[in-house]
Amino acid sequence: MKKIKKQDVKGLLEKWQKDFAVFVPSSASGVSQMDAWDGKETAFLDRNRNTAVPPKAKFLPSMEKMFGFRREKGTYTLEPTNGDPPRQLLFGIHPCDARAIAIIDAVFKDAYDDRYYLSRREKTVLIGMACAGPYDSCFCTSLGYGPSDSADVDIMLTDIGDSFVIEEVTDKGKELLTGSKGVVDATKDDEKKAAAAKTSAEDKVTRKIDTGEISKRLPGAFDDQEFWEEISAKCVSCGICTFLCPTCYCFDINDEMLQDGSGARYRNWDCCSFSVYTRMPAENPREDKWRRVRQKVYHKYLFYPELFETIACTGCGRCIRQCPVNWDITQTLNALPAGKKEETKKAA
Amino acid sequence: MTLRSLAPTDCSMTKETEKKLRDEVQALMEKGTIERMVGYEAGSLKFSTTPLITTDKADAERLVINPFVHSNLSVFLPGLCGKVGIVVKECDSRSVVALIQDKQVERKNLFIIGVPCSGVIDVAKVEKLTGLDRDEIDEVAWKGKKVAVTYGGNTKEFAAEEVLSDSCFGCDPSGFKECDMVLGEAEPVVGDKDSGRSKVKELEAMAPAQRWEFWKGEFSRCIRCYGCRQVCPVCFCDRCFVEESEPQWISPLPKWQDNLIFQVIRMMHVAGRCTNCGECERICPVNIPLGALTTKVEEIVDELFQYRAGTDKDAPPLMAAYKAEEIEDMMR
Repeated sequence: MKKIKKQDVKGLLEKWQKDFAVFVPSSASGVSQMDAWDGKETAFLDRNRNTAVPPKAKFLPSMEKMFGFRREKGTYTLEPTNGDPPRQLLFGIHPCDARAIAIIDAVFKDAYDDRYYLSRREKTVLIGMACAGPYDSCFCTSLGYGPSDSADVDIMLTDIGDSFVIEEVTDKGKELLTGSKGVVDATKDDEKKAAAAKTSAEDKVTRKIDTGEISKRLPGAFDDQEFWEEISAKCVSCGICTFLCPTCYCFDINDEMLQDGSGARYRNWDCCSFSVYTRMPAENPREDKWRRVRQKVYHKYLFYPELFETIACTGCGRCIRQCPVNWDITQTLNALPAGKKEETKKAA
Repeated sequence: MTLRSLAPTDCSMTKETEKKLRDEVQALMEKGTIERMVGYEAGSLKFSTTPLITTDKADAERLVINPFVHSNLSVFLPGLCGKVGIVVKECDSRSVVALIQDKQVERKNLFIIGVPCSGVIDVAKVEKLTGLDRDEIDEVAWKGKKVAVTYGGNTKEFAAEEVLSDSCFGCDPSGFKECDMVLGEAEPVVGDKDSGRSKVKELEAMAPAQRWEFWKGEFSRCIRCYGCRQVCPVCFCDRCFVEESEPQWISPLPKWQDNLIFQVIRMMHVAGRCTNCGECERICPVNIPLGALTTKVEEIVDELFQYRAGTDKDAPPLMAAYKAEEIEDMMR
């Protein structure tokens, strides 16, 4: 393990800025999100809670141009977008958000070869920061990892007061630190402090779900319309929970064309809570609100695991924190009917 | 999970009012006067409440009344059938009336219960004042006309003006519209309407170019989640203009220009219906100060038409009615 004094981190960021577009957690825009580092701000070194907009926006932006086109004499000429995206470095990403990116990689890398996503993903390094202040809406420890898990980042930093203990996770991470000023070997005492910080953060995650029980109950709960109607009654069908979810990846495709025949194809975030979702290609098969709410839960906790062997939820709690009506997915998951309802009814 | 119900010490939203509400609702549901109840129950986060929509009279015990009853529950009414009971604050009662005026709900199907509200505490303001997030604060409670906030072992008191929701300023808590039952009386905490329009004042003082830059910055953050539209009681169109594709009025892409146009058109559509309840600003996940727009819209409607939305259920809806003496040529 290595360590670096907090006051030396600025030098590290300056060094990295020569090779990368450096993004840090910031509220300068009016909402907390990963923003380009201004070369000065360092407040995030002392206080870094989950950003409102998840870092997925750096891989799958809310809107992106796919290509341009021009219509001339009845034919279309395609104009590719300008080259590759720059190398980017995300500093201060939390384990939950890094894990979320690893989760949706499966869609963009394995199920498809999505160059828009992958060209950014392949050129990104993730400098993780162990989460010291989980929110009361967080439930990451119920999903097989915790607020200081380093599995999905290149370097992990753990706050021990005036310094960070550094874990070099990947070769890429090790390379980034080579020859960096202020990086020294951590002492046994530093490592002890880091371990204590990790335990303390884990203890702060008090919201729990039982994924074993959930996967047992979900198949049988699907047809319990009464349950889904009841739990979805207060949902207002906005897009907040999905747009701010670090693992929701649905997008829509839209063309824009000017009268001179020039235009562009874009993709933008889409959301299964919207009643008009998928209406463009056909119809939305989930016209009722309860079916849409059910879909959201099943996609994350049953369908995605069936396809990619992982739950598409990291327990980051954004959907609970940001929901206009405090619809709480953990309450739904913890209240799933046992699945024996039909048989019990029949027996009676 | 611990569900917290935080009752203030010195305000009208007491445990007694809460008990009265529960008893009344239970009795009304037993009698069949109310088949379905829309109220508030304790939320799963600190200082929060969440809508409770139920047909089970036993759920009456879950109803709460406290200074965190933010939501304007009238948004749920158009989708509900049967005889519906609803808990309203004075401000929300205006939204219910606006819905009756626009024939989105029938008066005879409603049982409206007014709760005395001496103001809703805006947790976002408390967060700003303390530099902390909601979950890092231990206690928020009324103390006389002040609000006591406890965190990190210390208690700080803030004036009501600093922490009340903008829409509470100038409210007349006894001005209930159309209630079948009112559960008590409340005094306004801050009668000064001006305290709620500080953002509007700031914007009015700007030169047009400066104001344009301001809104450009704000709408650059918009992600088009449509939360503002979805929580708005008077955004009740079956099909919103943003979803029309033939013709396509605006682009579905979250470009700042289209985001701004979406909100401007939404404001035009709700003018004369909007009661400036503040829900759109409260829930905006990217913190766009939409309340400045709704406040201004309400003021313009008042100035031009001497009309206040949701104050008279028998009045024709402002923008859907025609008078012979209309001065605009296009109306003749």
